[in-house]
Amino acid sequence: MVLTLFDKAGAGVLKATDTFGDFAVLAGRTFAAIFKRPFDGKNLLFQFQSVGVNSIPVVVLTSLAVSMVFAVQLAFGFKQFQAEGLASQVEGLAIMRELAPVITGLMLSGRIGSAMAAELGTMQVTEQIDALECLATDPIHYLFVPRLLASMVMVPILTVVSIYVGFWGGYLILVGVEGQSAYVYGNEFYKLLAFRDLRIALYKAFVFGMIIALVGCWKGYRTKGGAEGVGNAPTSSVVTSSLWILISDFFLTKLLLV
Amino acid sequence: MAVIDVVNLSKAFGPKVVLSNVNLQVQEGESLVVLGGSGTGKTVLLRNIMGLLTPDSGHVAVEGKVIAQLSRDELFDVRQSIGMCFQMAALFDSMTVFENVAFGLRRHRRMTEAEVRARVEECLAMVGMKGTDQLKPAELSGGMKRRVGFARAIALKPKILLFDEPTTGLDPVMTDVIGRIILDLKHELGITSITITHDLKSAFEIADRIALIFRGECIACESPADFKVNPHPVIQQFLRGDADGPFLQDPPPPKRKTQEAPS
Repeated sequence: MVLTLFDKAGAGVLKATDTFGDFAVLAGRTFAAIFKRPFDGKNLLFQFQSVGVNSIPVVVLTSLAVSMVFAVQLAFGFKQFQAEGLASQVEGLAIMRELAPVITGLMLSGRIGSAMAAELGTMQVTEQIDALECLATDPIHYLFVPRLLASMVMVPILTVVSIYVGFWGGYLILVGVEGQSAYVYGNEFYKLLAFRDLRIALYKAFVFGMIIALVGCWKGYRTKGGAEGVGNAPTSSVVTSSLWILISDFFLTKLLLV
Repeated sequence: MAVIDVVNLSKAFGPKVVLSNVNLQVQEGESLVVLGGSGTGKTVLLRNIMGLLTPDSGHVAVEGKVIAQLSRDELFDVRQSIGMCFQMAALFDSMTVFENVAFGLRRHRRMTEAEVRARVEECLAMVGMKGTDQLKPAELSGGMKRRVGFARAIALKPKILLFDEPTTGLDPVMTDVIGRIILDLKHELGITSITITHDLKSAFEIADRIALIFRGECIACESPADFKVNPHPVIQQFLRGDADGPFLQDPPPPKRKTQEAPS
C-alpha cells in the first residue's frame, strides 16, 4: 500500500519533471532560433496582425466592461465612508497595475494561445510539421519564433490600449453616472500613479505574451492522437497559460514593487 | 557506394517491434519499391531515412552520412537533397498550391520571384497540374493533392525521392496516372527513389528492385522478375492477394461459398 503510494508519487514527479523539461528545452530552442536566418518578414507581419490587430475588439470590450464594473463597485464602496473622491484614484491604480495587464493576458491566452495550439496541433496530426522538417525548415524557427515575437510586442501594446479604455470605462460610470466632475476624475485617475506603474504593467504584459505564445505553440507541437488531441490542445493551452499568468503575476508584482 | 544504406535497422514503439535488422542498399539512379502489409513498418523505414525518427539500433546513411549522427544544420543540408512525398500529401493548408511548391525555393534558394514562378510552373507541369497554382489544398481532390505534393518534393531538384504510399485510396485510373508520373520523374530526372506501395501493377512498372517487409524484417530484395518467381510462401501469397496463407498473424474469416445462380 505504502509502496504503491510512493510508486505513484514518484511516477507523478517524474512525469512533471519530464513535462517541464520538455517545455524548457523547446522554449530555449525558440529563443536560440530568434536570430537564425532566413528572416521571414511576411510571416512575422501576419502574426502581428493575427495576435495584435485582430485582438483589439476583444481587449476593448473586456477592458471596458471590467473597468465599468470596478468603478461601480468602488463608487458604492467609498460612498459608505463619504469618500467618493477616492474611487477614481483607486480605479486608476487598479487598472494600471493589475486589471489591464491581467485581463489582457487572460483574454489573449483564450483568443490567440488557443488558436496557436489548435493550428499547430492540426499541422502536427496532418504531418504538415513533418513536411516542414522534410523541406529542411526548422518548425521552431518557422512556427514558434514569429508567434513569440508578435506576442512579446503586441501584448504590451494591447495592455496600453486596455489602460486607455479602462480610463474611459471609469469615466462613464464615475462621471456619467455618479456625477463626479470630469476635470477632477481626469486628475485623480493619475494621482496615485507614477511612470514606474506603467513600466510594471508593460513588464508584466511582456512576460504574459511570452507565456501565451510559448505554451500555445508547445501544446500544439506536442499534440497526439488525431481529432481528440487537436480538441484537447487549445483547452490545455488556455488552462496552463492562464494559471501561469496568474502565478507569475503574483511573483512579478512582489518583485517589481520592491 | 550506395546512395541510401540501411544497416541492421531496428525500431520499436514500446513493446511493439516495427523494424528488426532491416538491411537495404539503394544505388544511384535506382528505383526501389518496398512492399508489405499495413503496419509492417514501411513508413517507419522512410521516416528513419529522413531523420524524423531515430533508430533503436543500426543506422541509415545517405550519401555516406549517418543520419542519426548529424547535427540539426547538417541534417537540414541532407534533407535538401531528398524529396519526400507523404501518404496524404501533407500540403500546407493555409497556403495556395503555388506557395506550397515555392516554399522550399523561397527558403533555400537565392532566386528572384520570377525565377521562383518559372520553377513552380515547371514542376506543376511535370505532374500535370498546370493552372492550379491559385487553388487552396481544400479545393483539390486526393489525387491532385498527391501530385502537388510531388511538385513540392521535386522543386528543390533533389537527388533522392521518397514516396509514401502515393496511390493509396485513389481510384484505379488515378493510380495509373500517379504511377506514370513517378515513372516520368524517374526517366526525366534520373533520381534515386524509394516507393512504398500496395499497388502491384505500378510497383512492377516503377521498380528496378522490389523489397518485401514482413513482420519487421526484409525477406526479399530483388529484381521484379526474380521477385515474381520467388517461392517464398509469403511473397506468393502477397502476389496472389489471397487471405489464406502465412501472411496474416490472425486467421482470416472462412471463405463463403458463392451461391449458384438458379437455372
